[in-house]
Amino acid sequence: MKQVTLKIENISKIFKDYKGNEVRAVDNITFDIKPGEFVTLLGPSGCGKTTTLRMIAGFEKPTNGRILINDVNVVEIPPWKRDTAMVFQSYGLFPHMNVGDNVAYGLKMRKLPKEEIQRRVSEILRIVGLEGFENRPPSSLSGGQQQRIALARALVVEPSVLLFDEPLSNLDVLLREQMRVEIKRIQKEVGITAVYVTHDRTEALTLSDKIVLMKGGKIEQIGSAEDVYERPMNRFVAEFMGKINFVPVEVVEILRDETIVKLKNRTYKIPSLPTAHSDSYVLGCRPEAMRITADGPIDGKIKTIVYMGNFSEYYVDTEYGEIMIKVNPPFDKALSEGKNVKVDIVSEIVKVIPDRE
Amino acid sequence: MEERNWKIIKFIAVIVVVFAVLFWVRTTIRNEFSRLSRENSLELARSVASVDPDLLNEKFPEIYYYISYFDGRENENAKVSQLLKKLPDYEYGQENAMYEEFYISNQTVKFNGKEYFAIFAPIDKDYEVIGVMVQLHDAENTLKLLRTIDIMFLIVFALFIIAFAIGTFSIDPVTTYAIIITFAVALTFVVYPLYEAVKLTFARTGNFTFDVWKTVLTETSYLKSFGNSILLGALTATVSTVIGFLFAFVVTRTTIKGKKFVSLMANLPMISPPFSLTLSLILLFGSNGLITKQLLNLKWDIYGLDGLVISQTMGMFPIAYLTMLGVLESIDSTLEEASMNLGASRWKVFRTVTLPLATPGLLSSWLLVFTNSIADFANPLMLGGKFNVLSVTAYLEVTGMNRLDRGAALSLLLLLPTMTAFYLQRYIVNKKSYVTVTGKPSGRIVEIVSPGVKKMLSIVVYVIAIFLVALYSTIFMGCFVKNWGVDYSFTLSNIVEALQRGKDALLDTTILAAIAMPIAGVFAMVVAFLFVRKKFPGKKLLQGLVLLPFSIPGTLIGISYVIAFNKPPLILVGTAAIIVINYIIRELPVGVEGGVATLKQIDPSIEEAAQNLGANPQTVFSTIILPLIRPAFISSLSYTFVRAMTAVSAVVFLVSAQWYHITLQIYNFSENLRFGLASVLSSVLIIIILTVFGLLRLFVRKSEYLEKTIIS
Ligand SMILES: Nc1ncnc2c1ncn2[C@@H]1O[C@H](COP(=O)(O)OP(=O)(O)OP(=O)(O)O)[C@@H](O)[C@H]1O
Ligand SMILES: [Mg+2]
Repeated sequence: MKQVTLKIENISKIFKDYKGNEVRAVDNITFDIKPGEFVTLLGPSGCGKTTTLRMIAGFEKPTNGRILINDVNVVEIPPWKRDTAMVFQSYGLFPHMNVGDNVAYGLKMRKLPKEEIQRRVSEILRIVGLEGFENRPPSSLSGGQQQRIALARALVVEPSVLLFDEPLSNLDVLLREQMRVEIKRIQKEVGITAVYVTHDRTEALTLSDKIVLMKGGKIEQIGSAEDVYERPMNRFVAEFMGKINFVPVEVVEILRDETIVKLKNRTYKIPSLPTAHSDSYVLGCRPEAMRITADGPIDGKIKTIVYMGNFSEYYVDTEYGEIMIKVNPPFDKALSEGKNVKVDIVSEIVKVIPDRE
Repeated sequence: MEERNWKIIKFIAVIVVVFAVLFWVRTTIRNEFSRLSRENSLELARSVASVDPDLLNEKFPEIYYYISYFDGRENENAKVSQLLKKLPDYEYGQENAMYEEFYISNQTVKFNGKEYFAIFAPIDKDYEVIGVMVQLHDAENTLKLLRTIDIMFLIVFALFIIAFAIGTFSIDPVTTYAIIITFAVALTFVVYPLYEAVKLTFARTGNFTFDVWKTVLTETSYLKSFGNSILLGALTATVSTVIGFLFAFVVTRTTIKGKKFVSLMANLPMISPPFSLTLSLILLFGSNGLITKQLLNLKWDIYGLDGLVISQTMGMFPIAYLTMLGVLESIDSTLEEASMNLGASRWKVFRTVTLPLATPGLLSSWLLVFTNSIADFANPLMLGGKFNVLSVTAYLEVTGMNRLDRGAALSLLLLLPTMTAFYLQRYIVNKKSYVTVTGKPSGRIVEIVSPGVKKMLSIVVYVIAIFLVALYSTIFMGCFVKNWGVDYSFTLSNIVEALQRGKDALLDTTILAAIAMPIAGVFAMVVAFLFVRKKFPGKKLLQGLVLLPFSIPGTLIGISYVIAFNKPPLILVGTAAIIVINYIIRELPVGVEGGVATLKQIDPSIEEAAQNLGANPQTVFSTIILPLIRPAFISSLSYTFVRAMTAVSAVVFLVSAQWYHITLQIYNFSENLRFGLASVLSSVLIIIILTVFGLLRLFVRKSEYLEKTIIS
């Protein structure tokens, strides 16, 4: 497999909308990808993920910045001369060609000998699990199968970089999970460098070696799945990675590998450092990192209880807003809706996070 | 960035080399020309010098000269001696002449605002030189030629720089070239001729004047023609819209028998040659017509307004029919069903539901027919009689009176109503107020008319359809009748004679149509592709320019082409090229619109996927786009072919002895009352069109499964 590095350096993209106003779709972002790495661009709708991906593929030209594939700036190179291959959200299969011709298209463009084309097409169809589908028209395949053909078509040319734009969003939940595993397996099997765009954090967490979390055209955090989930650098990242409650605290002292914080009159020793430096901090508490106790420092009133089978979600109104607490059985029958309770944190698993969006 | 610098250096290097080469070529050509013309002048100088100086003024009045004899005498026919003495090589020239050598000065002399060559010639007497004569020979033409060479050289060099700059610095040069070429074509063949036509109407012998417009706008006969055009347009549009609506209504909202036949007859006139229906109307209702004369012996004949309305309606109600068909099909008939369930009477449902929903469609088809009727040339030419309309008047001004300026002004006048109607129609369609595609079209027919009304409607529709059948059969019968109106005996001689005399025109017409067809088809698809998928400056303008010929009457296009392309820099009148270009420009809008509509339904990621896999734009176009928009491509092909085969209004100005058009041959035959010959050629034309249509349809059939998959 090719050893390919990809560097995105200070890339910006400004669009003009229909009124002629400037839209900063991507705002000065920088990151790089090591050979064989699987990187996910994650973020809410409209944050510029697709635009970034399309700039890597060459469909959009950056307003500023450089894109280096193996240290060559490709900004001035048109898509058909770049060695990237993209898997589109809507697959983009050629409806007038059968599966075999679809997959062979890129190889024909590279003018490979017929036998080699045939060999590589059947090889890749075997890898994606669609052996012997060569003569079927794409329209006769299921959504998942079509997605695999799109993947095969991109993989078969052995591109330097493989690009995915929300490839699973058109599939139903079960198929999506299946394909997720499949994509990961195939990417590992061929060991290709890949950039994957999604707004689904589960996809990002399960697939990526590295996550680039974006908001409003800017990068909020770059890191491994664990980094981003466990050590969010601000409230936006923490919230985007899953339900979390914020409790304002005063940081008393930062030690070598623990932090002393003060919540109301109580002092806690948190066994981790703040995720980043700041003037003020909050405690990021996932629902499992809070509990209802008789002597907690936070006063509240139970608003709703949602029974989820193997656990329940308690929504408690407090001075810090609504707090969600995950409670495992056995459930205390005395805790019913409308009851005044006290809430405490589980200091071992909360995180100290800069108090900024 | 380094790469970029490299590119710039390479670019400059190539430009310098090319400049050097071009400059060398230019200098060589220039020198050659100037050597030739100097030699010519010297030749002339020799004969001038051999003439007795006293007879010079008489023999060569156009030559200025100055003679100085060695004995001190001087002689000149204009005050040029002072000018000549200022020449730096004056002495040298004198010396040469003294030794019997003719000498031409390196510099030209400016005299009376013109440039001249100065030639030093010896004056001999008894084999001895007794003086020197300096002659001035006109150098204007030579200098003009040299300037033209320089300009050409600069243009070639500039074009090269542009093309090479795009090729070097554009990421996607092919697309850029395509855009520039489209712009160039639109400017050269749409804007430039129109500009020239407008210019001509304001210019008389080089001066700006309103004379032409004053005449055109005040003379009653012209105003009458204008009024007649509008009147005819309004009548035809109204009658055609009513009939078109009836046909569409019967087809979509009732269950009468023979629908296939009815809709066939409502389509056929779209593709029949312009003179064919007119011809059979003349055969049946003309001054010597089978029905008017032989059967009924009436005073009435078809010539004039009434006949024109009939013949235009027969030819144009299909436009209204197809528009209304689309509209009525898109109105979900469950709406009508629903209101009927609510207890409304059938008439009330029609009046309160169907009609209001269909109104914008009716308006739009009225405007379309109106535009077509006003721009029509063939019917009024044949059937107008004393009823003059603007298109024919403009034609007669140009061909009969040789007054191009008035012809141009009249046809520009024609543009006013056609453009207004056309853009109004556009506006209505774009608002799309009538499309109420609620849910899925049920495909079920709700009978919203009572059986009695249905019977009445179907009788009307059948009568018209059968009338059309009668018209077509008349043409067919006309082929075999010896002398229509006089002697109805059977003969085959028409066929032999018509084919013999029409063979060349038929061949010309078919060849030109066959050349225009693929060019227009591919060009239309390329332009549609640019419009849908590419962003570039000036796109709106280009779209406007490409669609403009839609609303321009053929008469105006023909006249403006004659004006613009009968002089440098582009002399095309008389060639096949101008006819083909005219076809392409006029049919481009329809093809582009079809292509745009189809392309918009194709997911752009299909093309991006192809690019991504290494296909450059031209490969994407040929392997992905063209196959995917094949239906639009094929219909653009067949449309261009039919229109080229049946063209009249513009082509009548552009034909020449080498390239003739079959429709004009048909017209000539019927003008000379050779109806048999005209019928044969019309029938042949119909057969050719139907054959090509059928063949192209086969291709569309084959790709039908495709359409479904792309659009789903
Ligand atoms: N061609 C364009 N012209 C103008 N604005 C654009 C264009 N493409 C994208 N934008 C704008 O740029 C911003 C980023 O768009 P982008 O498609 O990259 O978002 P995204 O992160 O992929 O969102 P989603 O998850 O919804 O796909 C949006 O505000 C969008 O409206
Ligand atoms: Mg997106």
